Amino acid sequence: MRRKGIDRRAVAAIARKDIRAITSNVQVWLPMAIVPTIFCLVLPVILGIAIRTGGIDDGSDIGPMLALIERMPHSSLKQALDSLEDLNQRMVYLMFNHLFAPLFLIVPIMAASTVATDSFVGEKERGTFESLLLAPIDLMSMFMGKVMAAFIPAVTLSLASFVVYGIAANIAGWSVIGRPFFPHVNWLPLMALVMPAVALLAVAITVLISARTSSFQAAYQMSALLVIPLVMLMIGQVTGVMLLDTASFTLIGIIIAIVDWILIRLIVSRLDRSRMFESQVK
Amino acid sequence: MDAMVHVEGVGKRFGQVQAVRDLSFSVRRGEVVGFIGPNGAGKTTTIRLISAVLRPDAGSIKVNGFDVRTDGDQVRASIGVLTEGAGLYPNLSGLDNLRFFAELYGVDDPRRPEALLGAMGLAAHAHRRAGTYSTGMKKRLGLARALIHRPPVLLLDESTAGLDPEGITMVLKEVRRLSREEGVTVVLCSHILHQLEMVCDTYVIVDAGRSLAQGTLAELVRDYVRQRVVELETDLSLERAHEIAARFHARLVAPSGASRSKLSFTVDRPDDVPEIIAAASSAGRVYSAVRVGEDLQSVYFRVMEARASEA
Repeated sequence: MRRKGIDRRAVAAIARKDIRAITSNVQVWLPMAIVPTIFCLVLPVILGIAIRTGGIDDGSDIGPMLALIERMPHSSLKQALDSLEDLNQRMVYLMFNHLFAPLFLIVPIMAASTVATDSFVGEKERGTFESLLLAPIDLMSMFMGKVMAAFIPAVTLSLASFVVYGIAANIAGWSVIGRPFFPHVNWLPLMALVMPAVALLAVAITVLISARTSSFQAAYQMSALLVIPLVMLMIGQVTGVMLLDTASFTLIGIIIAIVDWILIRLIVSRLDRSRMFESQVK
Repeated sequence: MDAMVHVEGVGKRFGQVQAVRDLSFSVRRGEVVGFIGPNGAGKTTTIRLISAVLRPDAGSIKVNGFDVRTDGDQVRASIGVLTEGAGLYPNLSGLDNLRFFAELYGVDDPRRPEALLGAMGLAAHAHRRAGTYSTGMKKRLGLARALIHRPPVLLLDESTAGLDPEGITMVLKEVRRLSREEGVTVVLCSHILHQLEMVCDTYVIVDAGRSLAQGTLAELVRDYVRQRVVELETDLSLERAHEIAARFHARLVAPSGASRSKLSFTVDRPDDVPEIIAAASSAGRVYSAVRVGEDLQSVYFRVMEARASEA
């Protein structure tokens, strides 16, 4: 007879099965790979080429950036910038360490929502959801398995992207700064707290969307709306409206984690096999 | 009572549609039951209610002594279900599909997936993706999935649909073996009634979510077939055939002019059938004797006609 409480064996089996499904389906892993490749490799390479050709030396293009640095409150980032010798170095440091930070969060969001969409809506589309619901495992374990299946690849991909981005950024900026300059300490709360929390948020929202959509495409398109807050955050960063330091990132991470907790509690409280079966199985 | 599946006064409604109403039946341990009825009769809904994935609005269902309302996981652990779609993961190999479900069902024997693949004749295709399997192979893999945890109850919903004759025979043989050798209780839904006749001990005939008739084929024949027809292939002369018909108050249908022909005797009393055969044998040669209208398909239509006339 099966044990009460979370069935770890079932959680691991579902997570493993879904992760294998990702790696074997090009429609799933390709969108996941494209975004980090553009962000972590293509972008630094383009900027590296621009820096080498002297593109950012032109004072007329960097007016807003200068104003941003001027407005910056006293912080570790400001200190780091002040320690740099010239404007060029500051610009490179600012771009790679500060401006792209919110943009980086697209990586966990895209990865988590892509996998979660395939994981939840895909079961319905393939007609396998019935087999899953027929198994003698509690819905909480099933849900946990599905969340793990999206969360683990999203976090892993984000961490790998971070390493690649770091190497690419340091190489791209080397000719200007002359030493490794990435990452700034701001990236610590970003990667340790905000990134996992954002990945979990993307999973939770995708689950909610998936419960109301019947096709993979519809769910995927709706999940793409998740990047809108990030774009706004990015605009805030670039324009200086919202300057995020270590404390801000930590606070944002904690707030998103609380939202995650509330959303997951909400989803778990609504898990009902009979209702799910009636609404999700033809 | 040794009922492995006990359904009592069950009702289930989806919006305005009453899919199942006041349905009751029992299935004994090791019994194979044919659950039959037209499309929309509530067969699949009943299978899902027994599997504890749908909650009944009324009545009670017990499987292996567990209540579907309160012991859902124990009920599902007691049941193996094979539906028309087979419910397999197309991107996983046949072996990985079984390994996955073995984990879900808490199967501790690591050799069970391979053993089942071998038993289903799929060992050579173990590492091929299930999505590339033929319909028959998918059904066999689906049956292996349903059996992965050695369930005492097997529910097969249109499980032979789309199969070739070899595939059908294989599935039905396996059902028979499981019932006879392992004491597995089987509920089998199918529209192919002559297939059911090969394996089922009893039948439940449903329509519009309601049970119309239940019992063995002999019981259904007794209750629903009023006149018995026996068709003899014989060299009896028509004159002798008429004499026999008159003696048993039988209606005789006979082609004219043939020396060896099929004669059809219709009687009201079942006991007259062997008497007619005996009389014909003593008066001439009887090459074959076939009881007509007592097969499952004929009885099914009799039950449906009876319901229509009641309505």
